Amino acid sequence: MSGRYHRPHGWAWFLARPGYLRFMARELTGFFVAGYLVLLLVTLCRLGAGEAAFAQWLQELSTPSWMFAHVVALVASVWHSVTWFAAVPQAMPIFMGEKRLPAPLAAVVMGYGPWLTVTAVIVWGVLR
Amino acid sequence: MKRSGEAFWWALFSAGGVMAALFVPAFVIVTGFLLPSGDAAVAAERAAGFAGLVGWWPVRVALLGVIALSLFHCAHRIRHTLMDLGLRHLSGLLKLPCYGGALAGTVWAAMLLRAL
Amino acid sequence: MRTEQTMTLEIFRYHPETDSEPYFQAYEVPYDEDWVVLDAINWIKDHVDGSLTHRWSCRMGVCGSCGMMVNGDPKLTCAAFLKDYYPRPIKVEPLVNFPVERDLVVSLDGFMEKLQAVKPYIIRDDVNDTTGGEYRQSPAELARYKQYSMCINCMLCYSACPVAGHEEEFLGPAALALGHRYNRDSRDRGRAERLDVMLAGEAIWGCTFVGECTVVCPKHVDPAGAIQQAKAVAAQEYFKRFVMPRGAKGAET
Repeated sequence: MSGRYHRPHGWAWFLARPGYLRFMARELTGFFVAGYLVLLLVTLCRLGAGEAAFAQWLQELSTPSWMFAHVVALVASVWHSVTWFAAVPQAMPIFMGEKRLPAPLAAVVMGYGPWLTVTAVIVWGVLR
Repeated sequence: MKRSGEAFWWALFSAGGVMAALFVPAFVIVTGFLLPSGDAAVAAERAAGFAGLVGWWPVRVALLGVIALSLFHCAHRIRHTLMDLGLRHLSGLLKLPCYGGALAGTVWAAMLLRAL
Repeated sequence: MRTEQTMTLEIFRYHPETDSEPYFQAYEVPYDEDWVVLDAINWIKDHVDGSLTHRWSCRMGVCGSCGMMVNGDPKLTCAAFLKDYYPRPIKVEPLVNFPVERDLVVSLDGFMEKLQAVKPYIIRDDVNDTTGGEYRQSPAELARYKQYSMCINCMLCYSACPVAGHEEEFLGPAALALGHRYNRDSRDRGRAERLDVMLAGEAIWGCTFVGECTVVCPKHVDPAGAIQQAKAVAAQEYFKRFVMPRGAKGAET
């Protein structure tokens, strides 16, 4: 049948709803986390190059521009964690008989709990 | 109908998403803030602690797993973001730079960690 | 309570036999704080302009036919109260991501095809064999899919989904949630053939978990959750092929 009207779809669809902007913010963490992982590999590379090279690299990293880059990486990676833990109870329902584990509890059990433990262990491992 | 091979990439994305969510903020805190400390004596001590930690082979194996999966997570997410932003017709072509980049990063990480 | 006040509805108009492009027409309607947007549209149709075309039936959130864009948000117009928008004007458009048939009416063809594609019914060889009595199901087994069976096919989720607007092959939130509903039903044996449809091409993989389908769903179905669960099943099946070649396909629930 002819005469149907098809509304155009623009590339800027993500501006249409606040939820789309939150979605884009979550997806963009992929770019920042990837960037950080490359930086982490560079750090491991400098570590392999010897004590002096590593110390020099760490000196470099203590400059304000690298600090700012790491603040951005931290915000992005934490946002990834928060959005991921919000999604986990939706994607992995846990049933106990007829009852489904409530989402906030599931997020703590499968997300925030392990996250804080892992973070604490890693920070302790380096500082001890 | 033929099932798509996308399940494989999604599984890597999903496993990597868990790894990145659990580990990456801690990595950023360590390499971005704890190690590059201003005080030279403190910095040397922390650098030694970090080197000692990474010197332990189970840590290196775990690190490789976390980095590799996180890279594939990012690769998949970046590919789909680009598709959602209008490159949908390039979905096949985008696999090469995205997953290829993650694979290259994984190989590099393996070489680095083996040499440590 | 009817008052002396009025408010303005700006309504999307498109009649294919006379209009090449749609336009908006403003109507002044009495403001009644008990009214929903659907009441106002019905009032316009009855008192001002009989040519205005829209779908509705139950006016109580069950039939799923009065879904429209209300100020850019996909809503059941029978559940969108004027008082939540008063005194600003309300813009009413047909659901986005669907072709417009006429005024506020969209074409259902594509949606119906996608719903049917996921085989939304119980599949088993002995479906007509009642000699063993009814197929019993425990409350715990019911709980595993009940949420996904509450869909009223109002299509609001398709209007909230950017992928549904961009990707032809994508089956969309409601159809995928319904497929998942049957895949989780303990009485069903059709999971393998349903997954063949759901996992082909971009049918399910187009979804990037924007999650707005779940936000707008008037029945709290959570299609976004259902789709991610189905993807996880797909990933398990994918790797199971290497562990168990052939064999157990379709027998599991």
